[in-house]
Amino acid sequence: MSLLQLRNVSKRFGAVQALSGVSLDLRAGEVLGLMGDNGAGKSTIVKILAGNLPPDGGEMLVDGKPTAFHGPSDARASGIEVVYQDLALCDNLTAAENVFIGREIMRRAGAVPIAINFRAMIDRTKELFAELESDTRAELQVGRMSGGQRQAVAIARTRLNDSRVVLMDEPTAAISVRQVEQVLRLIKRLREQGVAVLLISHRMPDVFSVADRIAVLRRGQKVADKPKKDTSPEEVTGLITGAIERS
Amino acid sequence: MPPVKTTDPPLPAKRWWEGHLNEIGLLAALVVLLAVFAQTAPNFLTDRNLINILRAASYVGIVAFPMTFVIIAREIDISVGPAVAFYGVLFAQLVGAHGVPVAVSIPLVVLAGGLVGAAAGALRVAYAVPTFIATLALWSALRGGALWWTDALPVLIPSKPFRAAFGGDLLGIPVVTWVMAAVFVTFGYLARFSRYGRHVYALGGNPAAVEALGVNTALLRIAVMASTGALAAFTGILVDARLGSGNANAASGLEFDVIAAVIVGGTLLSGGTGRMTGTLLGVLVIAVLANGLVLLGVDPDVQKVVRGLIILVAVLANFAIARRRRRDLLE
Repeated sequence: MSLLQLRNVSKRFGAVQALSGVSLDLRAGEVLGLMGDNGAGKSTIVKILAGNLPPDGGEMLVDGKPTAFHGPSDARASGIEVVYQDLALCDNLTAAENVFIGREIMRRAGAVPIAINFRAMIDRTKELFAELESDTRAELQVGRMSGGQRQAVAIARTRLNDSRVVLMDEPTAAISVRQVEQVLRLIKRLREQGVAVLLISHRMPDVFSVADRIAVLRRGQKVADKPKKDTSPEEVTGLITGAIERS
Repeated sequence: MPPVKTTDPPLPAKRWWEGHLNEIGLLAALVVLLAVFAQTAPNFLTDRNLINILRAASYVGIVAFPMTFVIIAREIDISVGPAVAFYGVLFAQLVGAHGVPVAVSIPLVVLAGGLVGAAAGALRVAYAVPTFIATLALWSALRGGALWWTDALPVLIPSKPFRAAFGGDLLGIPVVTWVMAAVFVTFGYLARFSRYGRHVYALGGNPAAVEALGVNTALLRIAVMASTGALAAFTGILVDARLGSGNANAASGLEFDVIAAVIVGGTLLSGGTGRMTGTLLGVLVIAVLANGLVLLGVDPDVQKVVRGLIILVAVLANFAIARRRRRDLLE
């Protein structure tokens, strides 16, 4: 089932045509690996899907209905969450506090918020880590965590409101090889829970390890979109560089 | 599938005191200072003098708590000394020269202080003007404005009930100390238990992240700057009540004491870290030190040198802690 679709979407920045006529389909319980060289348009797609940029042309469909986002909060309301490349974490706060930034649980007297309910936030964060089957600790300061644990915090944040689509921008770019394995497992958990995942990455082995489908962008155009089993790293490399025109 | 194991060995659980080393150190410093001055400074350990210390500490503390938020949010307000003088003069002009009722003048003056502080925050938000620069301009303009307005002469406040209510004692403790206690409790609560406070910490930790997560960072920055402005204005009113007049030369150098107290209290200049209890202890340490030096008959100019040295040492310690913390995080 398609949760989120782009149809014929274009975006221009001054003289640069960042995207021309790109269509993309994100399905429940499927990981779509999006590959392409620097400047191919990957980040532009993430920004459009996350509500940070309006497209110039084409349309976006949520659950098959044409939709326009006027900001990141619109996208979030539609169940679309982003794991930013830098993870958007505050090193001085705990995992639970990071998960809940801007969405803190308050203890209330009637309708009046009295105080932040740390207990509830920690408990919910533990649940999220349990769902992701990660042993990251809810009460630990994020600054004291490894790269893999930090990824778990950023991913747990996307699960707070039972998101249906998670966009991940280069999640394995800045972490050590052994931590990459943890992140790929986390992505598989998201898929098991029926989330549609868009994985943007430069790293061929990571994409081939978790993606169900692979799409390739070159110079703002989609030049391939096929099941992983029907392609190979060699073909994708050719598509990215332009050695293979289209597939 | 097996659980996703993180590769790090589990960190040993922190004991409660490990998170409060800074406060424990300050408490020890305070005890040592009290003991040394009790032995060496004449009349140090009298009720009258201890009350004097509390009173002096309170004028610093009322602004130091909102200043803690400002510094946690990676901003600074260096205009608080001149602000105390200017709003004190404004209040005295309203009440003394124009006969505006005290009950009307107090909220008006506090509002004015808050709005000017908010303007400094708005410049930061709209044009990325560092708050250091905006409040440096205010530092000069507020002192100059107060002096120009009054010809450097005191502006008398005739209202005796006002002076008694705000300049006197309540249950044997200065009213200003009660006010400081209330400000401490309020900001302690905000820092720990309010969304606003948690967002200030988050802003100090990673401004871009807080922005991306949909928190209104513009409003946060304006609010922290407004809070030092408003409470500096209120301090100006309290100083008036003590002196019976508004004085353009009042609170000279207060900004140094306030910022020093916050830094001595363990708030990192790099933002994101700091506690109101630390600031309270920092305020007390600085007040005890200043009082002891006076009683020991140290030359006032030398006292200023000592104050400068304390700030220097505190800032160096501050950077050392920040560097060690960064190293801890990288391991």
